[in-house]
Amino acid sequence: MATQTERHSTLPQRVGQMNGAWRLFVIGALAVLGFGIYSFWQEATQGMVVTGMRDVGTMGGATWGLYITMVVYFIGVSFAGITVAALIRIFNLDHLKPIARTAELLTVVSLILGGLAIIVDLGNPMRGVVNLFKYARPQSPFFGTFSLVVAGYLFSSLVYLYLGGRRDAARLAKSPSRLQWFHRLWAAGYADTPEERDRHDRASFWLAIAIVPLLVVAHSTLGFVFGLQVGRPGWYGTLQAPAFVALAGVSGIGHILILAAIVRKVTATPHRIGEAIFAWLGKFLLGMLLVYLYFMVVELLTLVYATPETEKRLSDALLTGEFAWIYWGSVAALVISAVVLIWQAVVRRWSVTWLVAVGVLANLAAIGKRYLIVVPSQTHGTLLPYDTGSYSPSVVEFGVIAGLFALGALLIGLFFKAFPALPIEDESEEVIANA
Amino acid sequence: MRRFWTAACLVVGVVLMVVGYTASAPWGTESVAHSDPRFVFAPAVFVLGVVIAFSSALVYELLPEKRRH
Repeated sequence: MATQTERHSTLPQRVGQMNGAWRLFVIGALAVLGFGIYSFWQEATQGMVVTGMRDVGTMGGATWGLYITMVVYFIGVSFAGITVAALIRIFNLDHLKPIARTAELLTVVSLILGGLAIIVDLGNPMRGVVNLFKYARPQSPFFGTFSLVVAGYLFSSLVYLYLGGRRDAARLAKSPSRLQWFHRLWAAGYADTPEERDRHDRASFWLAIAIVPLLVVAHSTLGFVFGLQVGRPGWYGTLQAPAFVALAGVSGIGHILILAAIVRKVTATPHRIGEAIFAWLGKFLLGMLLVYLYFMVVELLTLVYATPETEKRLSDALLTGEFAWIYWGSVAALVISAVVLIWQAVVRRWSVTWLVAVGVLANLAAIGKRYLIVVPSQTHGTLLPYDTGSYSPSVVEFGVIAGLFALGALLIGLFFKAFPALPIEDESEEVIANA
Repeated sequence: MRRFWTAACLVVGVVLMVVGYTASAPWGTESVAHSDPRFVFAPAVFVLGVVIAFSSALVYELLPEKRRH
């Protein structure tokens, strides 16, 4: 046993080390995941009646509820991760390299969660999955969303993450440990020769070039899912696609800030994930926030200025009615986040604690805004003469979503126990790895 | 050889994407036929094309070096 412990202590960044806090985290995440699976089992065996979703109009409900809200949110979160990783490669932003892998992993995990959130929204998941591959139509924005997001975007992000990790995998494969087989498998014969490095530089550059337009198209088509629905007040509009991309950036960068702070703390690497990285992320987040706030004001002015009757019913519900607390709460969270970031930019001091708080606030606001995009237009935005509807997520829906969050946390946590969160570049770290 | 297989992978992927996309549903509104794919699982062909095209990066990096004598 002692030998085993010694062997594992040689891997850098606490890879393979499992202390009490780690075990507690895994147990907690597994418990929540178990509750999520149980909730989904309820839905799968008893039908969608256990959710709060009902038909639009005739049953006065919403057919897209919390699940679709979270689909949009998770896919939005994925945007920033691979964007940051691609920008680092394309513009050679070497000082940001320590967070590249964390950002790439965030993209992969959030895309998996987004895909699963779509699956749980389907009353008969297998029928939905099979029919998508059989009959999906390119004229529908869903085609772009599912084929490009779930297939292209996820696969290309996985390839990018995999190829970028081969060098470290090869280094770790030299150290005897229980994970050696995994690192050997990942390295796939990589020997870190100058030719291999050049080849990886070229491949990752062109991959990054290919990924950036792909993800803009993918996120825009997700906006078009709503923006092209001409018969649904609140959805139809040209700003949906760009606003989706902007809010995706806000929530994603907020997540990277939170994850970077956790990784820095857990791996004890404040010297590598330094203030400069947080400052860069803070400025990037501020830029995206200001763009999104601009879109939001334009959208609000359009909504309240000479509003047709159907739009007015919706705007009343959003601004002063039952959704007002979510709307104004989200607006307040976004404005406070922007003010904190502007203040830090003015004084040129970036506090990690404040940036993490901003990341949390921005993500709460993003979930609120995604909910407001999805739900009110169904309950209050019909053009047909139906009464106003209502929707409240059920315990089952909350359980499933909590389970998805737990799964995401578990995937990220397990990955960083098997593989270093930061690229190994420090000589002393390499010595440890080869000890 | 490495460049050849990478290019081949990329070309096959792009061709499958074009075939899958155009076969998924013909553009137009004249008849109900415009709603149907030209062949079943045409969208899956598009997805396969996307995956194969991005696999060209794997081929480029993972193909073993030619042995030097």
